[in-house]
Order: sequence, then C-alpha cells, then structure tokens
Amino acid sequence: MHIAKMAMFTAGIITATSAALAAGQTKPAYQGRTPQDVYRVTCGYCHGHNVGPLILGRKLPAATIQTMVRAGRGAMPAFRPTEITNAELAALGLWIEKSKANAKEHGQ
Amino acid sequence: MSAPTGTGVSRRDVIRAGAAGAAFLSTAAIASPLDGARMMPPGVDSDRFAAAVKELRAVVGADWVFANAESTLPYLSTFTPDPDGKHLPSGAVAPASVEEVQAVLKVANTYGLPLWPVSTGKNMGYGNATPATSGQMVLDLKRMNKIIEVDAELGTALVEPGVTYQDLHDYLQANNLPYWVDVPTVGPIVSPLGNTLERGVGYTPYGDHFFMQCGMEVVLADGTVVRTGMGSVKNSTTWQAFKWGYGPYIDGLFTQSNFGVVTKLGMWLMPAPPVYKPFMVRHMEMADVSKIVDAIRPFRMNNLIPNCVLMMGAAYQLAMFKRRADIWTETRSVPDEAIKAEAVKNGLGMWNTYFALYGTDEIIAAIEPIIRSAFEATGGEVLTEKEMAGNPWFEHHKTLMRGGMSLEEVGIVRWRGPGGGMVCFAPVAPAKGAETAEQTKLAKEILGKYNFDYNAAFAVGSRELHHLIFLLFDKDDAAEERKAQACMEEMVLRFGEKGWAAYRTGVSTMDLVANQYGEANRMLNKRLKAALDPNGVIAPGKSGITL
Repeated sequence: MHIAKMAMFTAGIITATSAALAAGQTKPAYQGRTPQDVYRVTCGYCHGHNVGPLILGRKLPAATIQTMVRAGRGAMPAFRPTEITNAELAALGLWIEKSKANAKEHGQ
Repeated sequence: MSAPTGTGVSRRDVIRAGAAGAAFLSTAAIASPLDGARMMPPGVDSDRFAAAVKELRAVVGADWVFANAESTLPYLSTFTPDPDGKHLPSGAVAPASVEEVQAVLKVANTYGLPLWPVSTGKNMGYGNATPATSGQMVLDLKRMNKIIEVDAELGTALVEPGVTYQDLHDYLQANNLPYWVDVPTVGPIVSPLGNTLERGVGYTPYGDHFFMQCGMEVVLADGTVVRTGMGSVKNSTTWQAFKWGYGPYIDGLFTQSNFGVVTKLGMWLMPAPPVYKPFMVRHMEMADVSKIVDAIRPFRMNNLIPNCVLMMGAAYQLAMFKRRADIWTETRSVPDEAIKAEAVKNGLGMWNTYFALYGTDEIIAAIEPIIRSAFEATGGEVLTEKEMAGNPWFEHHKTLMRGGMSLEEVGIVRWRGPGGGMVCFAPVAPAKGAETAEQTKLAKEILGKYNFDYNAAFAVGSRELHHLIFLLFDKDDAAEERKAQACMEEMVLRFGEKGWAAYRTGVSTMDLVANQYGEANRMLNKRLKAALDPNGVIAPGKSGITL
C-alpha cells in the first residue's frame, strides 16, 4: 500500500533575517511570522491569560518589550533570536506599543 | 579540571548590566570582540576562544554565534538557583542543519570547547538553557525546526529539535489529521524532542514520552551520524513504526545523557478519540494522599484509567493564579489551614486528582461507575464538567489531558515575588499510599525548616509516581536564592537516604543525584563517555557524566 506522507514542512521561523534590519530601521522588512502570529503562539498564553500582566493597549515602549523578551524577568523566560528573530522582535515591539486593549484578555 | 566560578560576577549582575539599556538590541546578534564578563570554558584562554568563535562563525554564519555579554544574555535566563554563578555559558552557537552540527562538533574537538545542546532551551525548573558547568557554549538547535514527516496512516511524526508542541499541534490542525499531541505542562514553547530526551511526561494516554518515542538520529562527537532502531536499514519504511530494531537497544543511551547530539526524533501520536471526558476528584485533607494513591494504582495497572493521572496539591494549584502574599504574609511556611481556606474559596480540595476517559459514550459509560465508586469510597468527590465547567483549574487540566496548549502553570514561578524563582525536585515514589504519605511528610519537614512552602503534585505513571516538589523562591533576594539551593540539596540527600532518588534533576544538583545511583553506574557512564566522546566536548556534567 502506498503510504501517504506529508510534505516536508518548515514549522517555525524563516531564518533569513539580517541583523542589520534591527539596527535602526524603523520599518524592518522582516521575513518570518507576523507580530500577531508571535503573540498568539508565545506571549498570549500568559499575558491576558491570568499569568502575566496585560501588555496590549498600554502603550508600552517597543524598546522595553524587546529588552524584556531578551532578558526575561520573574516568571517570564528569556526568548532568544533563534526563537524570535531580531526582525520579528522589532516588529512585535512596535505592534504591542501601538496595540489596542483586547477585551477578551483577562488577568492582572 | 574544575569549572571556574570565582570571577565575582553573578548572574544577577550580568543580567542587570545587559538589561540596563536596550543597546544590545540595536547591535543585533553579531558576535563582537570578546568583551564583558563571561565564563570562559575551562582550559580555554580568550585567544583560543576567539579563534574557535571565528571558525564557528564560518560554519553557521556570523548572526548565529553569540559570544559577547549582550548576545549571550538570553541564555543566562533561568528560574533555578545559581548563587555562585556555576552555570554561566560562555556563549552560544546555533547550527541550522545536521551538516552544520557535524562541523560545529569538529571545531569543538579542535579547540576543546564544551557544547551544551538545547532544543528550545525551556527546561523549566531544571535550568532552562543553562549548562551543568560554567564556560560551556550552548549548542542551540532551535533553528533546526522542521516537521520532517507525519505519517497519516500510522500516526507517527519525525521532528527536529527546534519543533515545538505548538508547531506540531498547528500542523495536525492545518492538515486536518485526526491525532493529538501529548504535552508537558508548558507545551507551546517547548520541544517534543527535548522533553522526550529528558524523559518528561504529559497527561493523555500517551503521557510517557520516551515510551512513545520511536527512532532517533544522533550525531556522535566524531561526526558520525547514527540512526537508531530501523532507521539504519536501507530503504526502511518502519523507522517510526518499530522501536527496537535489532541487537542492543540504544535509544536510551541518548536520553538524559551527553553521548551524542540528537538531531531527529520519531514519535507516536494518539488517535483523537470520539469522546473525551475529564474528571476531577476532590479530597479535603492532606492526609488523604495515601487513600488516593491506593485507589488509583489498580486503575493504572489495568489501564481502566488510561492517562497519566495528576494529583495536584492545593498550594501548587493556587500558585498558578495567585501569589503567596494574597494568602499568607508571615515568613514561615504557609500552614495547611491557610491553604485549605483559600482552596475552598476556589472550589479546590487539598488534593485535586485529574484523570480522563477516552473512547466512545458506551465505553465511558461502562467504566465510569467502577472508578467513581472506588474514589467515592475514599471520601473523594468525583466531579465533571457538569459541576466544574468554568473553574480555571478544572479548565486547565481539561486542556492538558487532551494535549491542548497552555502555559498557565508558569504562574507558579512568581509565587514569592516578581523576581521569580523555581526549581523542581522530582523523586520517584512507588504507587503505594503509605510510602507516598511518608514522602509528603519529609518534604514538608525539610521545606518548613527553610520557611519554604510545599507546592507539589504527583504524576502517576503505572506503578510509580513522580513526586514533583516545586521549590518556589524569590530570585531578587540573594539570601533566599542561596537558601533555595541549600534546601534543594538537603531534599536530594535526605530523600536519597530513604532510597528515593530523582527521575530527573536540574543543573545545580546533577552530580548529587548521580552519586545516589552508585559508583558502578557512574563508572559505566564514564566508560561510555570516554569511548564515544574522548575529548569530552558534549555537555560535560550532564546527569553527572564526565570523562
């Protein structure tokens, strides 16, 4: 019997990011996941979900977001460029800074 | 040679220095001249380290070698205590392919550079990405993130180290495949490969991850690529179907060890059942632990309860969503009465036992009364969605027992304060009530001596329980961090005197636990290490194994 195989699938990030993108460009032309994707599969499990503080709609500076992600703090582990690329993180920081509160989120 | 520890630089200092400004973010992850305080590998001076880094950059690209203080920062992050800076990496290197792993190992052998492999580096409660000894360079395999194959008929998967449970879950959903994944408590950001190699557990009937593993690909220290089981047979179609292959079964050698770098892992996926029914059994007294274990044991042995049962202590459950100061403001350990009062307010008992039934309505209808009557005979209240829907703890375990994604248990880390701090002591207990009660008593006594709380759970396999004792402390308090390490060591030693050793342990107690498994065992591991990795470049100190 022919066994159906799934095609090779790249699960995570497309890693063709360049370090130069994060160095001062205001609109990084990142390749990879959108900020919404990153938020869905990482941040949103704790923030807005009883565990971490709410971070959407609070005008948190993008630089603060970036520092927190790379350093970790308290119950929040650090996330490395291999998990969230510099370009993805730059876009994520800006997206969170400019985000509106999500009424469906709950927590502290 | 012992690992250097005496630079006077603590992890706290390093992290604060790095986090003080966001400067490192604008310079990105380019490894720059060696600056800042970091731990060099034992016996490797800074010139030699710089030469190794240069070669590593040539292998993986400059963006993927992290060798200055700023870019190494995320690799330092851990919840576990490290008061003397004994677990600081020298940097990290992130290959994207098996060939790059081979080339990195070649560089490591040339320069005597120790490598600490991680998959997603989220070994929570056990050290995250931090190494057993300072100076190791983290071999970060996260970029190897392909789901190579899912066999839709056999329900098997072959994945690389960087694939997360979330990735696999999303893949099954996107392709409408009728299978479940089985997650540990922090599924979204951790790796099936990494968790299985640590012999972690989950909460569906496929909860024993190493049992459900089938076939590996391993790169040995000399660059040899070995496929285990059926994987080395030419034109094999059974690599993920048959675990044992032919001759000695070797997969176990590559779990909790440092004998090779695992680059692919096969695993079995649970067929999604037509009906799933989660249960919670509520007991109101700490002393009920004995009765509960004796009630569960026969059902796990005969498999009427098919999943890995979790008996969650009230203090552990409360810590998920509440902080200690909400419940208790004194220094001494929170007394049972205070925990009980808060538990009752939240619909919880002192022990909350979660299991589930899977199958069809008919199957569940036949089994449920048998189990229900056994638990009711112990004084427990058997609860289902009918009574508990909407209760956040019930909903959480309902998610876990069907392999759903959640990070809610991470909340326990900040029980004592915003600095966070958590290390897990996980002794194995036989599934016998009396002995389990003795373990509970001993844990409370030792924790009480240090004013820590008993935030614990039991995960019931078939004939044993992993007693998961989470020592929660505040990393912002240096004295408390040191006390946490002392308390952890006392638990390891005193449980050891009774014959209760850990099934897995964090980087700060690996040697201590390895000693409890005896000299002959340690020497055998040492001989294997010498044969497979004669320069000792792969994870020295992992599970207490060194040259």
